[in-house]
Amino acid sequence: MARTVKRWLSLLAAVSLLLVNAMPAAASPAPYDSYNYNYWKEAVPSPDAYLPERTISGSDLGIGEFKDPGDINVSSSGQIYILDSGNSRIVVMDANYKLLRVIEGFMLDGSKEAFSVPSGLFVDEAEQIYIADTGNSRVVVLDAEGNLVHTITKPESDILATDFQFQPLKLTVDRVGRVYVVAQGVYEGIMQFDENGQFIGYVGTNKVERDYGEYIWRMFSTKAQRAQMVLFVPTEFSNADIDHKGFVYATNIDPGSNEPIKRLNPSGEDVLKRFGYYDVKGDIRFRNSTGPSKLIDVKVLGNGMYSVLDATQNRVFTYDDEGHLLYIYGGKGNQVGTLKTPVAIEQSGDHSLVLDRGKSNLVVYEPTRFGSTVNQAVALHYQGEDTEAVHLWKEVLKLNANYDIAYIGIGKSLLMEKKNEEALGYFELGMDRKSYSVAFKRHRREVMKENFGTFLTVAIVAVFVLILVRLAVKWKRRRQIDREAGLH
Amino acid sequence: MKQDYIKFPLHLIFHPIDAFWDLKSDNRGRLAVAFSALMLTIIIMILQKQYAGFLVNYSDPRTLNSIQEILTIVVPFFLWCTANWAITTLMEGEGKFKEIVLATGYSLIPLILIYAPMIVISRFMVQEETAFYYLLTTIAFIWFVLLLFIGTMTVHQYTVIKTVITMVLTVIVMGIIIFLGALVFSMLQQLFEFGYNIYRELIFRT
Repeated sequence: MARTVKRWLSLLAAVSLLLVNAMPAAASPAPYDSYNYNYWKEAVPSPDAYLPERTISGSDLGIGEFKDPGDINVSSSGQIYILDSGNSRIVVMDANYKLLRVIEGFMLDGSKEAFSVPSGLFVDEAEQIYIADTGNSRVVVLDAEGNLVHTITKPESDILATDFQFQPLKLTVDRVGRVYVVAQGVYEGIMQFDENGQFIGYVGTNKVERDYGEYIWRMFSTKAQRAQMVLFVPTEFSNADIDHKGFVYATNIDPGSNEPIKRLNPSGEDVLKRFGYYDVKGDIRFRNSTGPSKLIDVKVLGNGMYSVLDATQNRVFTYDDEGHLLYIYGGKGNQVGTLKTPVAIEQSGDHSLVLDRGKSNLVVYEPTRFGSTVNQAVALHYQGEDTEAVHLWKEVLKLNANYDIAYIGIGKSLLMEKKNEEALGYFELGMDRKSYSVAFKRHRREVMKENFGTFLTVAIVAVFVLILVRLAVKWKRRRQIDREAGLH
Repeated sequence: MKQDYIKFPLHLIFHPIDAFWDLKSDNRGRLAVAFSALMLTIIIMILQKQYAGFLVNYSDPRTLNSIQEILTIVVPFFLWCTANWAITTLMEGEGKFKEIVLATGYSLIPLILIYAPMIVISRFMVQEETAFYYLLTTIAFIWFVLLLFIGTMTVHQYTVIKTVITMVLTVIVMGIIIFLGALVFSMLQQLFEFGYNIYRELIFRT
């Protein structure tokens, strides 16, 4: 079954080679090698999903170079806000990257206030700008024109230590105005404030990773030695984003963790789906590159998809809502499209924006045919339109015949149409054992239903023949005994 | 013919205590049966990797290698027999090397008898039913270990505890043999290289 599908695809590939007009053979225009992980956890080459389109620096906008830009956000109306931390200003652009305005500060009680090393930015649906003003230990909320709405300062609460330093780093805001703040040195989770700036509490905590070897070692150590050892403290979150349902996506940079991305429900539990072949944690094998991925930003793309930014290899990993790795792009380097010190990722329309602190510019990535087809197909699948997704998945398979998710997608659609036998082949190619089992169960029942009559007839005849044979053997044996006894 | 080659092995796996004794004292064991069992085990293992149902088959088809499969069964088999023979010679075991090979070979029979139909049946299983597949293969393995245990006990005329100790020691000795083998191999390689280097020095020095 699987083999037939594969044969047809290879035939298709061969035919398409003949039909395609000979394009000038060019190497991949991307300055990085795109790859994806297959079922066996091997990194296999993949078509590029996103290609660098252009870069935007401060001088391109005519406002002087950015200095250590810290965060970027795209509002729901499409305006692009860049937090230029080193220059303590906010640069606002429209969707075509034309400069709209620059916010240098705001008026507080009649006096002009400036930001001090701000590091986080968020713009909500009412175009209110939330700035994590780290140096001034506060969160500033401005309206669209840059007038102060209110500030969130160091919270007063019984559960906070008296010497608590409030240093907000990153933030995100949900639809009703609750502010989620990732603050420095806070291990208890993400700080949550209500729309008036009152501290509500923490959401989501990173569990402490227990190292049992260390634990035993600790039992044999003296108190003085123990004091010298590393403490087991939970890691801090590195960034947060929010989806339209109000679930907070958060990343942490714990290198040992297998769950560096969390999707927190309103009660703070992690509800991220991890149904892919492997952990949702960026790179899963690093033979030629260093260390596990260090995820520093997450962007919810809609339709269940989310991208995370890895600061170890400067790559972007995009997953669908079930935790399948869709594609990887970006890389280390100095060319257009490779990144030096990426700090934040955003989405503007179908383009992807990555803010590079090292090069003080903004890299704009454009989806390729492969990338946008995958995005559309995943979106259709997420909305339950599997039948419509099929022709997109087939298109994806023309571009990348090793794309397992596409096989699974086609299989699921066939399953929905009750074409169980055809679905089996696709699930086998996609290595989706769970769906295979469902398809096979139905297929088996169908075959049984159709052939039950024949089966029963054969069985009854077989039993009958067996009885006859036994009787014959017995009879023959008795005759032989009789003959030996000389009765004949 | 049929008595020795089919009936007796089948009798042995269900009545191991009697049958292993018959195998030793009445000379009922046949090396042909033991080696056939070994060969069939190899074939079954290869078939299992290739043809077991998708839901229970986690082997990567690109890495299937029959020669490697043969080695992973044949080498441990003879290593076990050799190590067991070496240990029991020191521990006053009564078994001859041939009897050890026989006992080990005959013990493999349940593996063949259970794995073979399971390969076919697994192709018609759905996820929930794979539990039976794993249950039966586990039973087959436990059965094999049990037969090996009783076989060792009977062939060497040991007590239960002594058999357990012998089996553990055998595994350790297997490790030692591998270690020594690797050591000798690497020494030989270095010796060869040394000789070859001298030869080259002499040849190129004109």
